[in-house]
Amino acid sequence: MTDVTLEKLTKSYPGADRPAVDNISIDIGSGSLTALLGPSASGKSTVLKMIAGLLSPSSGDILFDGRSVLRQPPDKRDAVLVFQEHLLFPYMTVAENIGFGLKMRRRPKDEISSAVDGMMELMQLDGLAARKPNQLSGGQQQRVALARALVLRPKLLLLDEPFSSLDANLRVEMQGLLRTLHAEFDTTMLFVTHDQEEAVALADSIALLLDGKLRQHDTPDGFYARPQDRSVATFFGAKNFIEGQRQAGIFDCAFGQIRLPDNAPVGGHTLTFRPENVKLVSEAGGINSFPAIIKSIQFLGSQTRLQLTSSDIRFEALVSPFSAASLQSGQQVMVQLPPEVLWLVP
Amino acid sequence: MTERWNIPLMLAPALIIIVGLFLGGLALGLVGSFGYMPFIGREEFNLDAYRSILSSEGFYRSFLLTFHIAFTSTVIASAIALGAALALRRSFYGRTFISFLFQINLTVPHLVGAVGILYLFSQSGFFARLAYEFELISKPSEFPAMIYDPLAIGIILQYVWKEVPFIGLILLANMQTIGKDYEAAARSLGASRWQSFRHVLLPLLTPGLLAAAMIVFAFTFGAYEIPALLGQNYPAALPVLAYQSFTHVDLHARPEAFAMTMIIALLSAAMIMGYAYLSRRHVRT
Repeated sequence: MTDVTLEKLTKSYPGADRPAVDNISIDIGSGSLTALLGPSASGKSTVLKMIAGLLSPSSGDILFDGRSVLRQPPDKRDAVLVFQEHLLFPYMTVAENIGFGLKMRRRPKDEISSAVDGMMELMQLDGLAARKPNQLSGGQQQRVALARALVLRPKLLLLDEPFSSLDANLRVEMQGLLRTLHAEFDTTMLFVTHDQEEAVALADSIALLLDGKLRQHDTPDGFYARPQDRSVATFFGAKNFIEGQRQAGIFDCAFGQIRLPDNAPVGGHTLTFRPENVKLVSEAGGINSFPAIIKSIQFLGSQTRLQLTSSDIRFEALVSPFSAASLQSGQQVMVQLPPEVLWLVP
Repeated sequence: MTERWNIPLMLAPALIIIVGLFLGGLALGLVGSFGYMPFIGREEFNLDAYRSILSSEGFYRSFLLTFHIAFTSTVIASAIALGAALALRRSFYGRTFISFLFQINLTVPHLVGAVGILYLFSQSGFFARLAYEFELISKPSEFPAMIYDPLAIGIILQYVWKEVPFIGLILLANMQTIGKDYEAAARSLGASRWQSFRHVLLPLLTPGLLAAAMIVFAFTFGAYEIPALLGQNYPAALPVLAYQSFTHVDLHARPEAFAMTMIIALLSAAMIMGYAYLSRRHVRT
């Protein structure tokens, strides 16, 4: 287990119009499972490779337990990176792949053999020891890649989009396995993903990177309840942004005088709320309730999406199909925005 | 004419050359090696030519010399090409120009290269004169014999000079396909630079390196002109010996020439089969 600190970490490539990673500072707590989340080309894999020692930063520092590791080569950092493409050595068997790191550390053969056996059992790879990687399924290859890293019991495990090549069912299974392994091994884990659902489902904390910049580092629910700005909220699926003026605990906008939660940020002048937090109520008069017209209804399976308008402002709500069953386009409904689901962004 | 005949028809010119000239020549050579030469009245098939050359000490000396030339030049060229390819895949100032220089002698014919070797390394060549000028030697014969020498140093130098870029380019292309991620994964798993080369890159390169080396070995084993120009008279390299027998005034020596070429062809075929076997064992996914 190790505490990882990135201090003003920057990576620029020659000829690029902006840094791939721009002045990132973040503290990743010892033993945590942290997601580095962002769209393609947001710099998240670059951060991971710099931590692993496979890329040198242009400026800034990387500290493990308070000590800079910039001068340490990758093989001395005790930070193992599991690549998106698994990168199992194709000419080695499964057992040889898993034992590779221990062999490089010149551990005795019997120790390697017993560690590999134990890891294969843990990762449910029994009976596959003599197979070559091209004889394995995608899920099995991912398990071998994880086993090859975990057998070293590294202080820091880095995972670059570990499940992106797997189908949906296998991805869920592997996510469960990763959580189990995190609980079992004393290892700080940092994984890269572009999938916010995966980040929320797996991580204790999420660091969101957009355009090479760290936009927010927070708990998963923090991104839903307290997005730092509009782009963060949008990345996490927020659709509703209402302009207005803040006056003490009230937000004055087209919907009327909307009461805000006590912890609403002072500087915000855009009200945001998640579609799933919009409540349909039967009577007027409640806090933050107002009439709205249904513009469209879209059945999504487990939810129904309503496009609504109130005072010429469009917004979106997600309700259960059961409560949407009796609704029709053009119908007027009463909408309520409980103060605790509201947030202000700059 | 149906469309399915288009491809065979388009391939026909190449196939005619391969089948007609190569396989036809090989068949004629095989028949000749069994002593069948009706134009001089020999119409029976026998193994006399093979018996004769296999019981001749000169043949074995030639065979060993040829194997020594092919093996040594292949090993040295492969090692240098590997080092050069490793250096050239890094980015550094002037890389494009150095890559161009590295490839340039691919376009130079073997014979031209051999003349260059002759002028540079013979006992009356450039380096011998330089050594004499700096009083390192007092007469030309003191300069180490590298041309027409028993160790065939000049021939090996010529083959190494010519084959390094050939093997190097194959390796560079392979390295480009493999990328650097496997080595990065190995480094992250605790392998040092050397270990990641030794345990990861080298095994991944093995099929390509073997293919190139086998081609170079087969070529250098069967090539005539360089040993003829830079080699000693006795023992001569096997292709030179075969040519000498083929052009001998006594036409009855010709089956021996065919038998020798059949042995060279057999060894080349063994190389190809060996390559196919090894590449299957080291196959990459």
